[in-house]
Amino acid sequence: MSTKGRVDRRDLWPMRGRTLAASWLVILSLGAVPLWSQDPVEFFKKNCQSCHTIGGGDLTGPDLKDVTKRRDRDWLLRFIMNPQSVISSGDPIATDLVARYKNVMMPTVPGMNRELAEKLLDLIEKESALEKSQFAGVQIATRPFTPADRELGRRIFLGLQPLEARGPACITCHDVAGAPGFGGGHLGPDLTQVYARLGGRKPLSAWLVSPSTPVMQPVFKEKPLTADEILALAAFLEQRAGQPPPHRAGARVAFLLSGLVLAVGLIFAFDAIWKFRFRGVRQSLIDQRRASQAA
Amino acid sequence: MNIRSQVSMVFHLDKCIGCHTCSIACKNVWTDRKGAEYMWWNNVETKPGAGYPTTWEDQDKYKGGWEVNGDGKLRIKSTGKLRVVPNIFHNPHMPSMDDYYEPWTYEYEKLFDAPEGADQPIAEPISMVTGKKMSVEAGPNWDDDLGGSPIYAANDPNLNGLTEEQKLQLMSVERLVFFYLPRICNHCLNPVCVASCPSGALYKRGEDGIVLIDQNRCRAWRSCVAACPYKKTYFNWFTGKSEKCILCFPRLETGQAPACFHSCVGRIRYLGVLLYDAERLEEVAKMPDDELVEAQRSMILDPHDPKIIHEARRCGISDDVIESAQRSPVYKFVMEWKIALPPHIEYRTLPMLFYVPPLSPVQASQNGDVVTHTSENLFHDIDNSRVPLKFLANLLGAGHEGPVRYALAKQKAVRWHRRAETVGDVDRELADRMLREADCSREEADAIYRLTSLCTFEDRFVIPPMAREQAIEMMKDPLQEKAETGFGFVGGMRKGL
Repeated sequence: MSTKGRVDRRDLWPMRGRTLAASWLVILSLGAVPLWSQDPVEFFKKNCQSCHTIGGGDLTGPDLKDVTKRRDRDWLLRFIMNPQSVISSGDPIATDLVARYKNVMMPTVPGMNRELAEKLLDLIEKESALEKSQFAGVQIATRPFTPADRELGRRIFLGLQPLEARGPACITCHDVAGAPGFGGGHLGPDLTQVYARLGGRKPLSAWLVSPSTPVMQPVFKEKPLTADEILALAAFLEQRAGQPPPHRAGARVAFLLSGLVLAVGLIFAFDAIWKFRFRGVRQSLIDQRRASQAA
Repeated sequence: MNIRSQVSMVFHLDKCIGCHTCSIACKNVWTDRKGAEYMWWNNVETKPGAGYPTTWEDQDKYKGGWEVNGDGKLRIKSTGKLRVVPNIFHNPHMPSMDDYYEPWTYEYEKLFDAPEGADQPIAEPISMVTGKKMSVEAGPNWDDDLGGSPIYAANDPNLNGLTEEQKLQLMSVERLVFFYLPRICNHCLNPVCVASCPSGALYKRGEDGIVLIDQNRCRAWRSCVAACPYKKTYFNWFTGKSEKCILCFPRLETGQAPACFHSCVGRIRYLGVLLYDAERLEEVAKMPDDELVEAQRSMILDPHDPKIIHEARRCGISDDVIESAQRSPVYKFVMEWKIALPPHIEYRTLPMLFYVPPLSPVQASQNGDVVTHTSENLFHDIDNSRVPLKFLANLLGAGHEGPVRYALAKQKAVRWHRRAETVGDVDRELADRMLREADCSREEADAIYRLTSLCTFEDRFVIPPMAREQAIEMMKDPLQEKAETGFGFVGGMRKGL
């Protein structure tokens, strides 16, 4: 066709409109994000602290104390800005890290750019030099567990003792050996063996400081456990680890049956409460007539 | 004063022959669809009879309409702001399919397809709900066929307050008497269906008072079905929306009478505009039963009064509509002659469909060889009519006989007057005395006669100009839609993606 190749103004205009809108979006987002997050201390608190400490030991991710000495600064910058791409490039250090930290991959933090990454590295360097960093995380006592700890842990797990930050009790989603009644919830895994599974006291405590699963993270980010609560729970779970996992087959049937019984009971109760409810008119007229004829 | 216009109706029961042409016209136009099989926006009932749905007038059972509660406030009988919550998924006082009827058809193809045999093939009834063979036990005009009248007619709620003798008289085979009651939506001034809807899907059109259900906003709560005391909203089980008589507004908007009006063989139906004062609605709806008929009339305004005309213009009613109201046949029947009455106004919805009560068949008495039709007391027949006055009063006078007796006496006087004029076998003086006693002049009697017997289409249907091109400006700017696909309330143009 003769028009092929020819540049029509009408073709250009909408394009230009879209590009304009896109560039405005970029400008606005560039302007908006750094306004609240450019301060690296605030940014670290909001985005890093749930998985990393500086000098407080490993959590979900590694302890970042002196990380700038351990690794090449350029590698660090690349990793912070886009962890996924470094990992998928087959980088040996990154692959090793992923394996060490139970296959949890660091997400790309929204609003991250080179300038911010530089500032964060500076912050980590500065905090590492301190005797005790403000990001040392929750310090959990290393004293031996006492029967009182285990008892407190049991009460916390079962929800008899509310959590200080008002988070939901463990039994809401998890089962454990010795839970009374129908047992705990089935949303999360059975926690009877979790002490052994995670590899003991320290990893379990670290996990509880900042739970990283998609369900628990958003809940406990707002309502974190205290050091005492973590200790008590660890004591309780250590004690349970020696027991066989609960057999709940009977309880599930009982749960189902009791639900059925309740439902049927309610149907009869409603029927009795609304005994004189409206049930239609025509049929009752015919029934009356038949009754009077029979009489 | 807040003057509104209302398209109102009069059905002249004395002229209804119970042919159901209106029902069929409506059915064919509007409810011949899946999910609407059982709906009869227009139906004709035989009275005494239980009606459709069965004993719909029994509000002790169906809880329709309004009531005035202890602190003098109007209250919906079936629901309320709080009561709607526990009943939201099930309205306890709704008619069941059995109370309407199970719609059916016949196996007509059997008449053609049946293999040759010793017997004639028959078309058995088939349920339109299940598609299986059924035995027909009820229908929308079951009383019509006198199907089990001891069951149905004997349970007509209007028989309340009649003496045993009167009831027996109505039911005894040799003296059996009945009349017909065609019913459509009354397009009430105080519509309880609109008030009861939790979704706000029902509305009364501002410009002509037609009550409609917005099919997009209806959420199938069915509160309107329970609330309407006339049981004139229906639930469509297929679309999951409620539906009702729309007074054929697409026809009205093009200057045609609604289908049931247009097709009426007996020419019993009249349609015209009434102006009324909306400010007095609540006050009137709260009046005691015996004052309701008069109170509703007091709301309706004289379209000839210059003050009213001035005020109506101020309220945005166009001159065309005012002029239409001045020619309204409904205004004549309801306000000038006062012979048309609202049905069951004690439900307090203020219906805007009025009925001219029917005169019973003429009762003759035999005196030796002479058969006479008059008695000493001129209006004796009305007081001792074969349809007891109390029965008509229950239907059309909120239980009070006064307005019904007035309407019947006037009609009877008109008959005697015309008989004196045209046949001449009635003494002129006797006719004049009857007119006087019935509060009627010769001119008025002639006018009633003309509009009753000689009425043309133009006399019966004074349809106001609907001026949709202006009415639409309330909702959208017509210039915005210019050069698009045209105007429309039902489904307007949508711009953009």
